[in-house]
Amino acid sequence: MDTLSKLQILSGAARYDASCSSSGSKREGPVCGIGNTSSSGICHSWSDDGRCISLLKILLSNDCRYDCAYCVNRSSTAVERASFTAREVVDLTLDFYRRNYIEGLFLSSAVMVSPDHTMERMVSVAETLRTEEQFGGYIHMKIIPGSSSELVRKAGLYADRISVNIELPSQASLQRLAPQKHKDAILAPMTMIGREIASSVVERKANRHAPRFAPAGQSTQMIIGASPETDFQILRLSQGLYKKMNLKRVYYSAYVPVSNDSRLPVLAGPPLLREHRLYQADWLLRFYGFSAEEILSDDAPNLDESFDPKSAWALRHPEFFPVEINRADYGTLLRVPGIGVTSAKRIIAARRFSAITPEGMKKIGVVMKRAKYFITCSGRSFEKSDRPAALLRQQLLLGASSEPTLSTQLVLPGIFS
Amino acid sequence: MNRYLYDGTADGLLSAIAWILEEEPDPEQVALAERKDTLFEDGFFIGTDATQAEALFFRLRKQAPDAAHTLYSFMLAEKEGMESSLLHFLSLAFIHGDKVNGHLTHPAVRDIVGVSKKAGRELHRLKGLLRFEKLQDGAYLAKMEPDHNIIHPLAYHFSRRLRAQHWFLYDVRRRTAARWNQGSLQFGTIEQFTAPALSADEKKVQALWQAFFKTIAIPDRKNPRLQKSNMPMKYWKYLTEKQGE
Repeated sequence: MDTLSKLQILSGAARYDASCSSSGSKREGPVCGIGNTSSSGICHSWSDDGRCISLLKILLSNDCRYDCAYCVNRSSTAVERASFTAREVVDLTLDFYRRNYIEGLFLSSAVMVSPDHTMERMVSVAETLRTEEQFGGYIHMKIIPGSSSELVRKAGLYADRISVNIELPSQASLQRLAPQKHKDAILAPMTMIGREIASSVVERKANRHAPRFAPAGQSTQMIIGASPETDFQILRLSQGLYKKMNLKRVYYSAYVPVSNDSRLPVLAGPPLLREHRLYQADWLLRFYGFSAEEILSDDAPNLDESFDPKSAWALRHPEFFPVEINRADYGTLLRVPGIGVTSAKRIIAARRFSAITPEGMKKIGVVMKRAKYFITCSGRSFEKSDRPAALLRQQLLLGASSEPTLSTQLVLPGIFS
Repeated sequence: MNRYLYDGTADGLLSAIAWILEEEPDPEQVALAERKDTLFEDGFFIGTDATQAEALFFRLRKQAPDAAHTLYSFMLAEKEGMESSLLHFLSLAFIHGDKVNGHLTHPAVRDIVGVSKKAGRELHRLKGLLRFEKLQDGAYLAKMEPDHNIIHPLAYHFSRRLRAQHWFLYDVRRRTAARWNQGSLQFGTIEQFTAPALSADEKKVQALWQAFFKTIAIPDRKNPRLQKSNMPMKYWKYLTEKQGE
């Protein structure tokens, strides 16, 4: 089989991996090689689904011996199988990198023969790139659960980021849909990677030539909508991963129906709005100082489809508002719907010079569509603050002008089709 | 209100600002514009002094590095008619230091920071969207038509990245070029551009990239509007993956 056909099969099989981030690592390129990494990451293109392409995202092989119900590559399905040699992946990466198509390589694989067998081949690709070809670009490697800790350690020394997919949000779902995968085999390498990253950071403080272990950190991914867990369970899981394992990112991937297995729910299309709401809530966990328990509860365990999670929280907590823009601290500003990290920082920077007026808010670029119901500027409110809760909900939903459209995220294709 | 003129060059602009900041008690009440050589033009002409311009920039970099960065990006935009805004921005920068970038309720600061952000954004975008083609002699060539004059910082970026590679950048609209070969970076202009022959395997690699670009998208999530907002169509002309669309 020629490289083109292999590339088509093995990139098509890799497209359900959500992560394409190339950030978090800063490396000067080797003098006689090519490639460096920049801490902000760089997107090189955007594919037809609007997602950014920054890495050459491929599987080493899609020849899987596992039979996970939700997966395009499961052993019981009749897709065409292909495997790259290490050399083919190395050449593709370098050819693409030299033309500035990509920021680096994202290498994953189906489980061939055994986890160790697969992991060994993946590590040898990274090793060739780094040592033989002097490649200094970004490498993201998937860890195959069940592979030896020696191989995981090697992968971490060559890669910028490594990730173990948690796949499904609970052990019960894992057992039902992916009987060959086990929670412990997934969590063990995650714990070990977390430890290695932490100790490498400490060692590098003492000696700056100490080897770096996955400098861009560790991430994971789970599939949303293929199993019955609530958003509350999912968010609490993510919160635990961020706090206890120090993960950089948890990716949520809306389940795209790829098989008609009776264990899976029948969906009209991927649950994109739910995925979007989970990402919003995930941001609240990581950058806005919220806890999962503030966003959801056992009584209301799922995110509201009509409101973003922060607006929903604000509607439940009228006692917190209005917030006075000219006095509130950063953490309080962040709790106002419509004010994000950028706006909060701009408000704080601008009010050093003079109190911000309502017109000033527009001038510094704060979007007032939602914020106006929740703030005052030097005591002046934008809207009557004593409105009944039901009216506020309605205005937030429809906007002050009676435009019939709800909000842009509802236009995502596939939700109502 | 006093009105001053300069010769329209970048050095002229900065040296005029340096002169005004030195001589005028309240620079915020002063206007600065390019001399158009029309009859009865109103204003006092300030001659260009490159050392003054340079000194101003270094002084700013020392006192307010973030504001110096804003100034640098602003100059990449080659914007006309904003000289007075720049003067007022710099005058505030020497008073408040780096905090000036946050003074967005001030019209001059908002204008200058806005333009400089736009230039910075295009520079970051092109670090990703630039496409090299391999030529017959083994060198690589990338063509572009950016809105802002970003060839210098862009070439610097690739000089750190594609070190062991011989390459050219070519700004088609401005006819300027950058060349990196064996550790040295040079800039120049190209009057007559003739497209050089591509290397034998170039089309094959391009076909591989085009195939990857197609298959990496999830068909159930097709979203051309999002694609266009992230990657405006004005950049498609030189994108390998968007040829023939």
